[in-house]
Amino acid sequence: MSTIEELLEIRNLSVSFDTPAGEVKAVRSASFSLKKGEILAIVGESGCGKSVLCKSIMKLLPGNARIKEGRILANGTDVTRYRERDMRKLRGNFFSMIFQDPMTTLNPTIPVGEQIAEAVAVHYKGQKRGKGQGKNLPMKKEDIYRRVIELMELVGIKQPKERYELYPYHFSGGMRQRLVMAIALAGEPQILFADEPTTALDVTIQTQILDLLCEIQRKLGMAAILVSHDLGVVARAADRVAVMYAGKIVEIGRAEEIFYDPRHPYTWGLMRSLPIFARPDEELYTIPGMPPNLLKMPRGDAFACRNEFALAIDYKEEPPMFQISDTHYAATWLLDMRSPKVESPLTGLGTFAPNGYRQIYIRKSLSEQRTAGKEGENGDKVILDVQHLTHQFKLGKKTVIPAVNDISFQIRKGEVFGLVGESGCGKSTVARCVMNIYRPAGGKILYQGINICDKEQVKANRRLLEASRQLIFQDAASSLNQRMKVSRIIEEPMRIHHIKTPRGSYHKEAEFQMKYVGMDASYLSKYPPELSGGMRQRVAIARALSMEPELLVADEPIASLDVSIQAQIINLFKHLQKEHGFTFLFIAHDLSVVRYLCDRVGVMYQGRLVEEAKTEDLFKTPVHPYTKALLSAIPIPDPRLEKDRKSPDFDEIKWPEKGEMVEVGPMHFVLKNA
Amino acid sequence: MSGKKIYFYYGRKALGFILSMAVLSFVVFYIARLAPGDALVSYYGERAEKMTPAERAFAEERLGLRAPVFVQYIRWAKGAIQGDFGISYKYKMDVMEVIRGRIGNTLILGGIGFILIFVLALFLGILCAWYEDRFPDRMICKIGIVTSCIPEFWLSLVLILIFAVYLRILPSSGAYTAGREGEIGDRILHLVLPMAIVVTGHLWYYAFMIRNKILEEVRADYVLLAKAKGLSKCKIMFGQCLRNVMPAYLSIMAISIPHIMGGTYIIETVFSYPGIGTLSYESARFKDYNLLMVLCMISGGVVILCNMAAQTINEQIDPRIRPGRENETSEVEGFGG
Repeated sequence: MSTIEELLEIRNLSVSFDTPAGEVKAVRSASFSLKKGEILAIVGESGCGKSVLCKSIMKLLPGNARIKEGRILANGTDVTRYRERDMRKLRGNFFSMIFQDPMTTLNPTIPVGEQIAEAVAVHYKGQKRGKGQGKNLPMKKEDIYRRVIELMELVGIKQPKERYELYPYHFSGGMRQRLVMAIALAGEPQILFADEPTTALDVTIQTQILDLLCEIQRKLGMAAILVSHDLGVVARAADRVAVMYAGKIVEIGRAEEIFYDPRHPYTWGLMRSLPIFARPDEELYTIPGMPPNLLKMPRGDAFACRNEFALAIDYKEEPPMFQISDTHYAATWLLDMRSPKVESPLTGLGTFAPNGYRQIYIRKSLSEQRTAGKEGENGDKVILDVQHLTHQFKLGKKTVIPAVNDISFQIRKGEVFGLVGESGCGKSTVARCVMNIYRPAGGKILYQGINICDKEQVKANRRLLEASRQLIFQDAASSLNQRMKVSRIIEEPMRIHHIKTPRGSYHKEAEFQMKYVGMDASYLSKYPPELSGGMRQRVAIARALSMEPELLVADEPIASLDVSIQAQIINLFKHLQKEHGFTFLFIAHDLSVVRYLCDRVGVMYQGRLVEEAKTEDLFKTPVHPYTKALLSAIPIPDPRLEKDRKSPDFDEIKWPEKGEMVEVGPMHFVLKNA
Repeated sequence: MSGKKIYFYYGRKALGFILSMAVLSFVVFYIARLAPGDALVSYYGERAEKMTPAERAFAEERLGLRAPVFVQYIRWAKGAIQGDFGISYKYKMDVMEVIRGRIGNTLILGGIGFILIFVLALFLGILCAWYEDRFPDRMICKIGIVTSCIPEFWLSLVLILIFAVYLRILPSSGAYTAGREGEIGDRILHLVLPMAIVVTGHLWYYAFMIRNKILEEVRADYVLLAKAKGLSKCKIMFGQCLRNVMPAYLSIMAISIPHIMGGTYIIETVFSYPGIGTLSYESARFKDYNLLMVLCMISGGVVILCNMAAQTINEQIDPRIRPGRENETSEVEGFGG
């Protein structure tokens, strides 16, 4: 029996799914242990088995999954072969789980209080049985109610009594995640599994939820396993970190060890592909290739073919876990005595300033170089001029939601204009107004001098307007027709507009565009479901490019992609902009991406533009309190910095109802409250 | 929801119902008269063919069939509003009287059939979902697919052959054996075969629907959370999944009432069961206009009422579409940001 400190111990756990295509090895001999009061983070790309690992410990996997080998020790007891009935006693009481999407994890037809009460009642019953008392008295209604209110207060829901009877749809995403947490905590579990708890939330709420999680964990002395792909989130919360790749834990150690002294090439790759680490004048690093097919595992190290430091032995034999220190282990042949010494490519990348902005590279940024070179060429040709744009949505007969309120900005030729803000701030509405999808309620939008709010002018210039503005959506899976071949998808806009193709036929043009976005022409005969997420986004971009547009409006084009694939798409955008001088309206909520890609940035809050400046100026000297809060909300992948940083308080920022834009610096405008 | 709003809400629904009925009655009235055939045949029988033109004109005048269709309709509608639906040409008595004698039989067959279908489908659906992809589920699904492929009329004939002709344990037709009218035991015996056909004809569709709906719910994220908080399978199935399936099921069942009733019409004919199904068939065939009108109005009314009921049930159960909630302030969520 292990020491009492060890709450959970996993030894050589392997989990497989039986699918019609064969056996999918989702987790391959994972071993780790969890001490009392500790937060272990599991990081890795999607599909690397992090969620499966957690769910297999709680036995929440679907029927076609089975634990092939290994043992799960909970408090020293082997629970690997526990039946469903026995597991149920552990669930909620010993361990509990919160999930990624709070929008779907609550039952929409049951009041939230009742959902928590259910968990409380179950826990109480389990306790009675556990103590072996014969009487199985149900908990009194009032006691349950009191406990539910207590839990709701614990997770920071104000006025819990009034909100007990409300349904999940009354709550925003962050509040729902709090409720889910209350449910998970009902049974006073010793271990809390948090499966991407902040991924589906806004940046502004992310830190709040994460801090709440840490606070409760400390208060109740729980241990937690945090699954995330966001290294910033991990840096903020985790004591120890495990890096997973293709179902295997490839590196595990204390957070400081993983962040400051990573040893596995995959960990290097993950860190390097973060936009926050990149210098604006060079391409983002991307890990070459794709994660392996879990159906047919390659021989040797699964990461070998993507590893630039791969040795011959990597292709023959899987590396064992090498011990680096008492707490730090990594599975790579590079640590073997006989292998050549390799310097970590991360050294020399520099450190972070407290605001998350890398100081070494401030002096030489791309946009400064560009403005220096290009100013003369293009003059100041304004492509898009948005003047006092206002738009509202009507709900029912009387309720009107002002989505966009008096917004003005200009985009010049060849410029990348970023629009950032939390969800619901009206960014997408602006994009749709610019694309003539919505008819704005007020204001003017001039595209190359044509007023696109005016029906007559739009009619007269339809060809030009439709062809030269193109929209790229967030979710490539749903913005491409699933039943159309890629070739037809790319050719369709050209066919509609009867464009004379410079390369002879539509098909040749499609081939050209595919190569242009970095895909093989053989993919033209495939259907979108056969492609991966990154490829689908490339096809969507190719479709937009086939019209040879001047203005590309990209509405969160990378939000639904994995970190390493994000980097590829960002590089593609950068390339397009640099080589061809496309003008971009780039909408995003990820500020590190915006900083890397955009020349100028507008910050939106509650339908208003609160600050607009050159990227450098905005990140260096933010003026509006909302911008400041937003900037400091980005989690930085640096545990020492991140752990002490206070999360910004967004509640204090006033709703900017009235006010005017005031120039505070060269090309730097801020909304001043009137 | 305030009291005033409720009146307004249901008032609007009632108005909609009355309007649809008015439109329906006019359309049926008009189409019935457009169709070929001789209404006098149903009144005078074979005699109608031997009538002289003068006699015929007199007879038509007497029955009010000479006036333009629109005038006829106004006349009919005036009577209908006062509760006078005219007389049946064939039975020579008040239409309501004719229907009153038959409608009970149909209600017994359709009503009990409906309840049986409702309960059995729920039971089988839950059973299948509980044992998903295991033996009971596979068996039930296979039986269901085979049975629902057999046409009703053929199955009725086979059952009559087996139970009434060879085994002689069940009667083949009618509602009572002659001379034993009013005996409950006899009534039940007569109901067994038609009821079996009604139930097997519709049961599987709804059972499979329940099964698939529940399985859809079982895969939802909130079930995972419910499991993670330690609820038992039974509690998750009945407290969470079934609860979310019920609105859809109830509203589909409400819409299914006319469907099931329609099914009994065919079966009534096969088993010579004296219900309004046989009556409607006769009235349409022999142009018994007044009878036809009332029967159509009854079926049409049932369809419209059931659809309304379905909508109301949905609104009552699902908190998100409950009426009168439009102005309730909810926290502002993303609208396409």
